[in-house]
Amino acid sequence: MSSSIGSPSKVQSDFDPRALRRHVLRMAYRGQSVHVACAFSIIEICAVLYGRFLRYEPRDPAWPDRDYLILSKGHGVMAMYACFYEIGWLGDTDLDNYFKDGTHLRGLCEADVPGCEVTSGSLGHGLPIACGIALGLKRKGSDRRVYCIVGDGEMNEGPMWEALLFAAHQKLDNLVVIVDANQFQAMGRTEDVLGLEPLAAKFEAFGCRTIECDGHDPTALERALSSFATPCGRPGAIVARTLKGQGVSFMAGDNCWHYTRLSDEIYGRAMSELS
Amino acid sequence: MRDVLSDLIVAAARDDERFVMLSGDHGYALFDGIRAERPAQFVNVGVAEQNMIGVAAGLAKVGFRPCVYGLAAFVPIRVLEQIKLDLCQSRLPVMLLGDGAGLVYSTLGVSHQCGEDIACLRPLPEIAVYSPCEAAELTACWREARAADHPCYIRLGKADQPTVHASPLADTAPVFTHRTPADAGGVVLIATGSMVSPCTEFARREGVACVSVPRIKPLPAELADICRSAARVIVVEEHAGTGGLWTSIVEQAARRKDAGAATPVVESLALESAFTQTSGSWQQSLREHGLADDQLAARLRSLIAASERNGA
Repeated sequence: MSSSIGSPSKVQSDFDPRALRRHVLRMAYRGQSVHVACAFSIIEICAVLYGRFLRYEPRDPAWPDRDYLILSKGHGVMAMYACFYEIGWLGDTDLDNYFKDGTHLRGLCEADVPGCEVTSGSLGHGLPIACGIALGLKRKGSDRRVYCIVGDGEMNEGPMWEALLFAAHQKLDNLVVIVDANQFQAMGRTEDVLGLEPLAAKFEAFGCRTIECDGHDPTALERALSSFATPCGRPGAIVARTLKGQGVSFMAGDNCWHYTRLSDEIYGRAMSELS
Repeated sequence: MRDVLSDLIVAAARDDERFVMLSGDHGYALFDGIRAERPAQFVNVGVAEQNMIGVAAGLAKVGFRPCVYGLAAFVPIRVLEQIKLDLCQSRLPVMLLGDGAGLVYSTLGVSHQCGEDIACLRPLPEIAVYSPCEAAELTACWREARAADHPCYIRLGKADQPTVHASPLADTAPVFTHRTPADAGGVVLIATGSMVSPCTEFARREGVACVSVPRIKPLPAELADICRSAARVIVVEEHAGTGGLWTSIVEQAARRKDAGAATPVVESLALESAFTQTSGSWQQSLREHGLADDQLAARLRSLIAASERNGA
């Protein structure tokens, strides 16, 4: 792990998805937070990005030469916190005191938390900001890259499609959009609420070079992300096929874990599966 | 005022590589200058205003100084949440220009009219709100907004009103456009934007004082002193009667800690709480709200006469 401030610090170590999920459960249990399943579906995506692709400084989340990871689906923020804990940007106190009076970690992504670049609890904000960052970096001749994790439910929002048009028109090939296609949104199946399929074809039609892969397979994710290393004049898109609640048998595919809090018994059962 | 704005935009692009002008497919000739001289610093993002604010936020995050142009009906109204979350929460140095504010687009109808922009932005933390009446004020507001390290909104109303300031302004403080020997203890008109010109003309004709307010948020403290020294204050604005300049002044007066003297009587002449019903000239649209030039003069005369009858 490279660590000197002022030099690119691409971290070449894998993050253990099981450990990340345990951190999420620990926070959710201590804070009695909802949105466990929203975090679980992006665990591998975050693990691969922080473990293999993003350049960042383990001692300084605001390192000026960092690559950007924009979490546009702010509901998955506990997956980010879990990575921050592994990196060292958060400590045990932060996890154990989640949602306690006066603490600074919120239940949705907030721009003022170091490491979180944007406020994205209101959906449809992160991708437009990611486009602005990508445009600015290109204008500066920088090789820094921008990754943006969006939700499939979030793709209901109009500004997401505005942003895709813009990204393609401006040839933002330093931007990779990763869709957490976990098949659910708050109140039901994505296809039942407001159908999006064929999602990959839509991204392709909007001008993105698009790859579809298993969003819980680190090797597949790494292969997909690596394919965007060489700029091609088009933004990249990965439709990561995931499952909401993935990682704990009784949560996977059960949308109640979007909004259900963890009892002592459930917490114990879930943790034992991840030990 | 538009020629001056075009010059200010070109000069900013020329002087500052970080300056990027964004438009949501509006503006036409306003951007001829920058497009000719600094084309790379002008980006037409298309008819996609929500994305435009996000893009401006992203550009500001990596060191650029974006200026976002739209009609006031769209910037700020359509994109209020993006302004709140993308710009204000992170206190990003982004300038917003809301053109055609008030009833300027009288023939185009309600979709292009905007009498609520000041009221919508005032409660948001971090953002400053300007409402220049003509070129001298616009230049002062632009200079201040360009130097700011936070979001700023410049409201642009009727652009071809007669000039009221004889010389450039040093800052955006309230400025007397007409004074009388009896300023203290007399009637003071306080106006902003398009209403400064007709109020100044009235003041000169009728012998009362008139003050223009180019910066509405933060509201300059001097306004409280001006109000306290006057027997009667009449606030005139091409904006809703709620949430704009009148509300700002009344709130300021009510919050004064050194109260003891009576709170001054502050009258409001503003847009009615109603959408326009008819097409026609700008004066016709103002007429629906009682603010056409002749109506405004008559109402001011009547308010002043009433205050004189009451011994003010």
